[in-house]
Amino acid sequence: MSSAEELTGPGHPAFHLDEMVLNMGPQHPSTHGVLRLVLHLDGELVVSVEPQLGYLHRGFEKLAENRTYLQYLAMISRLDYLSGFFMEWSYVRGVEALMSIRVPKRAEYIRVIIGELNRIISHHIAYGDFLMNLGASTPFVWAFRDREDVYDLLEMVTGQRMMYNYMRIGGVRWDLPGEFEAGCRKFLKNFPAKIDEYEKLVTENEIFLSRTLGMGIIKPFEVLDYGLSGPNARASGVDWDLRREVGYSVYPEFDFKVPLGQHGDCYDRYKCRIEEMRESTKIIEQALDAICGGPVNIKMPPMLRPPAGDVYRAVETPRGEYGVYLVSNGGLRPWRLKLRDPTFSAISMIPKLTAGNKIADLVAIAGSLDLIMGGVDR
Amino acid sequence: MGKLDATVALALAGELLGKLARDLSISDWHLVIEVRPDDLPEAALRLRDDEKLSCKYLSCIIGVDYVDWMEALYLLRSQDHSVPIRLRVRLDREKPEVPSVTYIWSGANWHEREAYDFFGIKFLGHPDLRRILTREDYDTHPLKKDAWPHRVRRTEWAWEGVGKALRLPGEPDRQERS
Repeated sequence: MSSAEELTGPGHPAFHLDEMVLNMGPQHPSTHGVLRLVLHLDGELVVSVEPQLGYLHRGFEKLAENRTYLQYLAMISRLDYLSGFFMEWSYVRGVEALMSIRVPKRAEYIRVIIGELNRIISHHIAYGDFLMNLGASTPFVWAFRDREDVYDLLEMVTGQRMMYNYMRIGGVRWDLPGEFEAGCRKFLKNFPAKIDEYEKLVTENEIFLSRTLGMGIIKPFEVLDYGLSGPNARASGVDWDLRREVGYSVYPEFDFKVPLGQHGDCYDRYKCRIEEMRESTKIIEQALDAICGGPVNIKMPPMLRPPAGDVYRAVETPRGEYGVYLVSNGGLRPWRLKLRDPTFSAISMIPKLTAGNKIADLVAIAGSLDLIMGGVDR
Repeated sequence: MGKLDATVALALAGELLGKLARDLSISDWHLVIEVRPDDLPEAALRLRDDEKLSCKYLSCIIGVDYVDWMEALYLLRSQDHSVPIRLRVRLDREKPEVPSVTYIWSGANWHEREAYDFFGIKFLGHPDLRRILTREDYDTHPLKKDAWPHRVRRTEWAWEGVGKALRLPGEPDRQERS
């Protein structure tokens, strides 16, 4: 090889003539919000990916240090806007643990019911967006159509469709309205048939199977190594669900399965979420049967002063372990609030999962991880 | 899947870590282990590879600025026994440096970048220690309590009130004047 060829030849490390750098996002329909992926491409093959975060960074952890405990509660459902109720739940659990408050039993049941309804609509989006990423637009529209039923219920209870602000430290804001139970039972009766409908549309589809089977495999040891949780971890066979392991709130009273996958590919992650929707309907049914009377919150002063100390409390959100680490110095405002988001860990795995695949598969893998940037960027 | 009692886990960890652990206690249902910054990789490796504790899962790394010192907190959990463990490392606030654990848990990579971004904690041996959430040319580490010198009044309150309350928990809080 002559020296001129050495300098200009393809693949020479100094030139990377075959490699193209492509920015995917921050405004791109398949990056679920404002995730920016810097792709290094060789033709259609992904050589390496570098995720860039921070386009939605709003300084939530710093803002907490300048607000009272109750003021902050109004903001926190803006974090992961699709499962805002779980953000509130983890935060109030943290404050309740700091102050050693016991929540009334009825409030715990209400939290479980609303939480599981919220899990269902979040999985609707996971389902619809994942299929949208694969190029199927019908499931997306169907999922959005059926989400409205749950939104109607949530609006009936909380007055809001997305940013609920329904949790209170020591309970919930107000009791369930009278017509809620009938409406909820009607929804639960119709919903399993709709899940069957989704599955009929997609699960056995030839194109879907060829796009997802064996794609983006996460091994169980990688799940632990990267700190994945939620359906992303369970699809790889890691049997870990905080609702069962920690058994917070009234979850130990309910009988539900934790769906597991075997291979940890995109298909298993999709399937896990579908099965979780079924399990959520079962939990809501049991909670509606078991719910007891009594107060839904305890009277708290508007200015809370938790004693000095630190706690970590986590809840199982639709995306995994969402944790709140609170440090109180005995003052009116949190000294430090750390929000541990499951999607943050999931995105850190994208470079490893997608290197060597095609761009279209990268979109599929990212969709199967169910990314929501609001919680990641904080 | 046998669940481990926190007190049993405490004894196990004491045996495993020996002199590496400066302090062992149970607080908030967590087993809290305090180690020196230099001992962190060794302690982390032992905790990860131990058969009984097997902390294969790093939940997150938390930086906390206590004004007099800084802290890096590693939340670990063993998937088999569900005993949450907090590995606590106290750092010098003027020069916060701690060895990286990226080669022990791959997931630590971004958590360490975040702690660096927010608190300026330097993780020695990290493969790619850059800011992650704030912009690259940002001139401060925003979650440090003295991050914005131009907002002196507010930070002064925070400094006085909180510093005292941390030392004497019973004392009234001065942040209230607002």
